[in-house]
Amino acid sequence: MDFKKILVNFLTSFLLLCNRFIGLILDPYKIMRKISLEKDYWQPGIIIGLIFIYFKFIYYLREKIYPATFIYVSFIINFLLTIIFFYFLSKLFGKNKKEITFSSFLFTFSYSLLPTLVWFLSTSVLFIFLPPPRTFSLLGKGFSVFFTAYSLSLLIWKIILFYLAIRFSSRQNFFKIIFMIIFYLIWFIPYSIILYQFKLFRVPFI
Amino acid sequence: MKSINLRLKSKMNEVFSIEPNNLGASALTYYFKKITTYFKVMPFIYIIPLTFLVSVTLYFLLGRFLIKLVTVLQYGF
Repeated sequence: MDFKKILVNFLTSFLLLCNRFIGLILDPYKIMRKISLEKDYWQPGIIIGLIFIYFKFIYYLREKIYPATFIYVSFIINFLLTIIFFYFLSKLFGKNKKEITFSSFLFTFSYSLLPTLVWFLSTSVLFIFLPPPRTFSLLGKGFSVFFTAYSLSLLIWKIILFYLAIRFSSRQNFFKIIFMIIFYLIWFIPYSIILYQFKLFRVPFI
Repeated sequence: MKSINLRLKSKMNEVFSIEPNNLGASALTYYFKKITTYFKVMPFIYIIPLTFLVSVTLYFLLGRFLIKLVTVLQYGF
Protein backbone atom coordinates (compact mmCIF):
# COMPACT_ATOMS: atom_id res chain seq x y z
CA MET A 1 0.00 0.00 0.00
CA ASP A 2 1.50 3.32 -1.01
CA PHE A 3 1.59 6.47 1.13
CA LYS A 4 -1.00 8.34 -0.95
CA LYS A 5 -3.58 5.59 -0.42
CA ILE A 6 -2.88 5.52 3.32
CA LEU A 7 -3.30 9.30 3.52
CA VAL A 8 -6.59 9.19 1.59
CA ASN A 9 -7.91 6.37 3.82
CA PHE A 10 -6.85 8.27 6.93
CA LEU A 11 -8.47 11.54 5.86
CA THR A 12 -11.69 9.79 4.79
CA SER A 13 -11.90 8.01 8.14
CA PHE A 14 -11.15 11.24 9.99
CA LEU A 15 -13.98 13.04 8.17
CA LEU A 16 -16.32 10.12 8.91
CA LEU A 17 -15.26 10.28 12.55
CA CYS A 18 -16.08 14.03 12.73
CA ASN A 19 -19.42 13.39 11.02
CA ARG A 20 -20.27 10.61 13.46
CA PHE A 21 -19.15 12.66 16.45
CA ILE A 22 -21.77 15.28 15.54
CA GLY A 23 -24.21 12.47 14.73
CA LEU A 24 -23.76 10.97 18.19
CA ILE A 25 -24.74 14.34 19.70
CA LEU A 26 -27.80 14.81 17.47
CA ASP A 27 -28.98 11.27 16.77
CA PRO A 28 -27.13 8.79 19.02
CA TYR A 29 -29.42 5.78 18.47
CA LYS A 30 -29.24 5.76 14.67
CA ILE A 31 -25.54 6.59 14.48
CA MET A 32 -24.51 3.98 17.08
CA ARG A 33 -26.49 1.38 15.11
CA LYS A 34 -24.49 2.36 12.01
CA ILE A 35 -21.21 2.23 13.94
CA SER A 36 -21.94 -1.30 15.20
CA LEU A 37 -21.92 -2.50 11.56
CA GLU A 38 -18.74 -0.58 10.67
CA LYS A 39 -15.69 -2.25 9.09
CA ASP A 40 -13.22 0.67 8.76
CA TYR A 41 -10.52 0.09 11.40
CA TRP A 42 -8.99 3.53 10.87
CA GLN A 43 -11.81 5.11 12.91
CA PRO A 44 -11.15 3.39 16.29
CA GLY A 45 -7.44 3.80 15.47
CA ILE A 46 -7.86 7.60 15.21
CA ILE A 47 -9.85 7.75 18.48
CA ILE A 48 -7.18 5.71 20.29
CA GLY A 49 -4.54 7.98 18.70
CA LEU A 50 -6.33 11.13 19.90
CA ILE A 51 -6.38 9.68 23.41
CA PHE A 52 -2.61 9.08 23.17
CA ILE A 53 -2.13 12.77 22.20
CA TYR A 54 -4.33 13.74 25.17
CA PHE A 55 -2.18 11.74 27.61
CA LYS A 56 0.96 13.33 26.19
CA PHE A 57 -0.64 16.78 26.61
CA ILE A 58 -1.70 16.32 30.26
CA TYR A 59 1.69 14.89 31.23
CA TYR A 60 2.88 18.50 31.59
CA LEU A 61 -0.08 19.40 33.85
CA ARG A 62 -0.12 16.39 36.18
CA GLU A 63 2.35 15.37 38.88
CA LYS A 64 4.96 13.53 36.84
CA ILE A 65 4.84 10.22 38.71
CA TYR A 66 4.53 7.98 35.65
CA PRO A 67 5.46 8.57 32.00
CA ALA A 68 2.53 9.43 29.70
CA THR A 69 3.07 6.25 27.66
CA PHE A 70 2.76 4.11 30.80
CA ILE A 71 -0.58 5.74 31.72
CA TYR A 72 -1.71 5.29 28.12
CA VAL A 73 -0.79 1.58 28.17
CA SER A 74 -2.78 1.14 31.40
CA PHE A 75 -5.73 2.87 29.71
CA ILE A 76 -5.45 0.43 26.77
CA ILE A 77 -5.45 -2.49 29.24
CA ASN A 78 -8.61 -1.08 30.96
CA PHE A 79 -10.28 -0.57 27.60
CA LEU A 80 -9.45 -4.06 26.31
CA LEU A 81 -10.53 -5.65 29.61
CA THR A 82 -13.88 -3.86 29.33
CA ILE A 83 -14.45 -4.94 25.73
CA ILE A 84 -13.37 -8.55 26.36
CA PHE A 85 -15.58 -8.72 29.47
CA PHE A 86 -18.72 -7.58 27.62
CA TYR A 87 -17.87 -9.71 24.58
CA PHE A 88 -17.61 -12.93 26.57
CA LEU A 89 -20.65 -12.10 28.70
CA SER A 90 -22.67 -11.47 25.51
CA LYS A 91 -21.51 -14.79 24.09
CA LEU A 92 -22.64 -16.42 27.33
CA PHE A 93 -26.10 -14.76 27.34
CA GLY A 94 -26.64 -14.61 23.58
CA LYS A 95 -28.88 -16.87 21.51
CA ASN A 96 -27.28 -16.21 18.12
CA LYS A 97 -23.62 -16.45 19.08
CA LYS A 98 -22.45 -16.06 15.46
CA GLU A 99 -24.02 -12.59 15.22
CA ILE A 100 -21.93 -11.29 18.14
CA THR A 101 -18.59 -10.06 16.82
CA PHE A 102 -15.58 -8.62 18.62
CA SER A 103 -15.16 -5.90 15.98
CA SER A 104 -18.63 -4.53 16.72
CA PHE A 105 -17.63 -4.14 20.39
CA LEU A 106 -14.36 -2.48 19.38
CA PHE A 107 -16.09 0.09 17.16
CA THR A 108 -18.99 0.97 19.47
CA PHE A 109 -16.87 1.12 22.64
CA SER A 110 -14.25 3.27 20.87
CA TYR A 111 -16.94 5.79 19.91
CA SER A 112 -18.37 5.69 23.45
CA LEU A 113 -14.96 7.02 24.59
CA LEU A 114 -15.68 10.39 22.92
CA PRO A 115 -17.67 11.94 25.84
CA THR A 116 -14.88 10.80 28.19
CA LEU A 117 -12.24 12.41 25.97
CA VAL A 118 -14.26 15.65 25.71
CA TRP A 119 -14.69 15.86 29.51
CA PHE A 120 -11.03 15.08 30.29
CA LEU A 121 -9.75 17.45 27.63
CA SER A 122 -12.04 20.33 28.65
CA THR A 123 -11.25 19.81 32.35
CA SER A 124 -7.53 19.93 31.66
CA VAL A 125 -7.92 23.10 29.53
CA LEU A 126 -10.03 24.67 32.30
CA PHE A 127 -7.28 23.68 34.74
CA ILE A 128 -4.93 25.99 32.80
CA PHE A 129 -7.32 28.96 32.45
CA LEU A 130 -9.34 28.61 35.68
CA PRO A 131 -7.12 26.64 38.04
CA PRO A 132 -8.68 25.20 41.20
CA PRO A 133 -9.44 25.63 44.13
CA ARG A 134 -12.84 27.22 43.56
CA THR A 135 -13.72 30.08 45.86
CA PHE A 136 -16.98 30.81 47.69
CA SER A 137 -17.45 34.11 45.78
CA LEU A 138 -20.40 34.63 43.42
CA LEU A 139 -18.24 33.79 40.39
CA GLY A 140 -16.88 30.69 42.12
CA LYS A 141 -20.38 29.51 42.98
CA GLY A 142 -21.63 30.27 39.45
CA PHE A 143 -18.77 28.36 37.87
CA SER A 144 -19.35 25.42 40.24
CA VAL A 145 -23.02 25.19 39.21
CA PHE A 146 -22.05 25.45 35.52
CA PHE A 147 -19.27 22.85 35.83
CA THR A 148 -21.56 20.41 37.67
CA ALA A 149 -24.25 20.80 34.98
CA TYR A 150 -21.64 20.39 32.23
CA SER A 151 -20.13 17.27 33.84
CA LEU A 152 -23.56 15.74 34.46
CA SER A 153 -24.59 16.39 30.82
CA LEU A 154 -21.50 14.61 29.53
CA LEU A 155 -22.02 11.79 32.05
CA ILE A 156 -25.60 11.23 30.81
CA TRP A 157 -24.37 11.30 27.20
CA LYS A 158 -21.68 8.79 28.13
CA ILE A 159 -24.25 6.50 29.81
CA ILE A 160 -26.49 6.68 26.70
CA LEU A 161 -23.59 5.81 24.37
CA PHE A 162 -22.31 3.08 26.70
CA TYR A 163 -25.77 1.49 26.87
CA LEU A 164 -26.22 1.73 23.09
CA ALA A 165 -22.73 0.28 22.53
CA ILE A 166 -23.66 -2.79 24.58
CA ARG A 167 -27.16 -2.96 23.05
CA PHE A 168 -26.00 -2.98 19.41
CA SER A 169 -22.92 -5.13 19.95
CA SER A 170 -24.38 -7.76 22.25
CA ARG A 171 -27.93 -7.63 20.80
CA GLN A 172 -29.34 -8.30 24.26
CA ASN A 173 -32.50 -6.88 25.84
CA PHE A 174 -32.64 -4.13 28.50
CA PHE A 175 -32.62 -6.39 31.59
CA LYS A 176 -29.67 -8.48 30.40
CA ILE A 177 -27.71 -5.30 29.64
CA ILE A 178 -28.43 -3.97 33.15
CA PHE A 179 -27.22 -7.29 34.63
CA MET A 180 -24.09 -7.11 32.50
CA ILE A 181 -23.38 -3.55 33.67
CA ILE A 182 -23.88 -4.60 37.33
CA PHE A 183 -21.43 -7.51 36.85
CA TYR A 184 -19.01 -5.10 35.23
CA LEU A 185 -19.23 -2.59 38.10
CA ILE A 186 -18.65 -5.36 40.66
CA TRP A 187 -15.04 -5.74 39.47
CA PHE A 188 -14.50 -2.36 37.87
CA ILE A 189 -15.14 -0.21 40.98
CA PRO A 190 -12.50 -1.99 43.15
CA TYR A 191 -10.17 -2.02 40.12
CA SER A 192 -10.58 1.77 39.73
CA ILE A 193 -9.84 2.25 43.43
CA ILE A 194 -6.60 0.26 42.99
CA LEU A 195 -5.67 2.48 40.01
CA TYR A 196 -6.44 5.54 42.16
CA GLN A 197 -4.24 4.20 44.98
CA PHE A 198 -1.38 3.79 42.50
CA LYS A 199 -2.07 7.37 41.33
CA LEU A 200 -2.65 6.24 37.74
CA PHE A 201 -6.17 7.69 37.35
CA ARG A 202 -8.14 9.96 39.68
CA VAL A 203 -11.32 9.62 37.61
CA PRO A 204 -11.30 6.36 35.60
CA PHE A 205 -10.77 7.03 31.88
CA ILE A 206 -13.38 4.69 30.41
CA MET B 1 -33.45 -0.21 -9.80
CA LYS B 2 -31.20 -3.02 -8.64
CA SER B 3 -28.98 -0.61 -6.66
CA ILE B 4 -32.08 0.93 -4.97
CA ASN B 5 -33.17 -2.56 -3.95
CA LEU B 6 -29.72 -3.33 -2.56
CA ARG B 7 -29.66 -0.05 -0.61
CA LEU B 8 -33.14 -0.72 0.72
CA LYS B 9 -32.12 -4.23 1.71
CA SER B 10 -29.01 -3.04 3.56
CA LYS B 11 -31.06 -0.33 5.31
CA MET B 12 -33.63 -2.95 6.35
CA ASN B 13 -30.83 -5.18 7.68
CA GLU B 14 -29.44 -2.22 9.63
CA VAL B 15 -32.81 -1.21 11.12
CA PHE B 16 -33.82 -4.77 12.02
CA SER B 17 -30.36 -5.82 13.26
CA ILE B 18 -31.73 -6.18 16.80
CA GLU B 19 -35.02 -7.26 18.32
CA PRO B 20 -37.14 -4.50 19.92
CA ASN B 21 -36.95 -4.34 23.71
CA ASN B 22 -39.66 -6.21 25.61
CA LEU B 23 -39.72 -5.72 29.38
CA GLY B 24 -42.28 -8.43 30.06
CA ALA B 25 -45.30 -6.31 31.05
CA SER B 26 -46.88 -4.36 28.20
CA ALA B 27 -47.37 -1.22 30.35
CA LEU B 28 -43.71 -1.31 31.38
CA THR B 29 -42.59 -1.72 27.75
CA TYR B 30 -44.88 1.14 26.71
CA TYR B 31 -43.43 3.59 29.28
CA PHE B 32 -39.88 2.39 28.59
CA LYS B 33 -40.31 3.18 24.89
CA LYS B 34 -41.92 6.56 25.72
CA ILE B 35 -39.00 7.56 27.96
CA THR B 36 -36.21 6.26 25.72
CA THR B 37 -37.62 8.17 22.73
CA TYR B 38 -36.28 11.37 24.35
CA PHE B 39 -32.76 9.91 24.47
CA LYS B 40 -32.69 8.57 20.92
CA VAL B 41 -32.89 11.85 18.97
CA MET B 42 -31.47 15.23 20.13
CA PRO B 43 -31.05 14.14 23.76
CA PHE B 44 -29.25 17.37 24.75
CA ILE B 45 -32.50 19.34 24.36
CA TYR B 46 -33.68 17.55 27.51
CA ILE B 47 -30.30 16.83 29.14
CA ILE B 48 -29.01 20.43 29.38
CA PRO B 49 -32.05 21.99 31.17
CA LEU B 50 -32.34 18.88 33.37
CA THR B 51 -28.70 18.96 34.48
CA PHE B 52 -28.84 22.73 35.15
CA LEU B 53 -31.91 22.15 37.30
CA VAL B 54 -30.18 19.28 39.11
CA SER B 55 -26.98 21.27 39.72
CA VAL B 56 -28.88 24.33 41.05
CA THR B 57 -30.85 21.99 43.34
CA LEU B 58 -27.60 20.34 44.43
CA TYR B 59 -26.14 23.76 45.18
CA PHE B 60 -29.11 24.64 47.43
CA LEU B 61 -28.95 21.22 49.11
CA LEU B 62 -25.19 20.80 49.50
CA GLY B 63 -24.01 24.43 49.50
CA ARG B 64 -20.27 24.70 50.04
CA PHE B 65 -19.77 20.95 49.63
CA LEU B 66 -20.64 21.28 45.91
CA ILE B 67 -17.93 23.92 45.45
CA LYS B 68 -15.40 21.63 47.19
CA LEU B 69 -16.59 18.74 44.99
CA VAL B 70 -15.99 20.83 41.84
CA THR B 71 -12.47 21.61 43.09
CA VAL B 72 -11.81 17.86 43.50
CA LEU B 73 -13.30 17.16 40.04
CA GLN B 74 -11.08 19.81 38.48
CA TYR B 75 -8.07 17.84 39.70
CA GLY B 76 -9.63 14.65 38.30
CA PHE B 77 -8.22 14.63 34.77
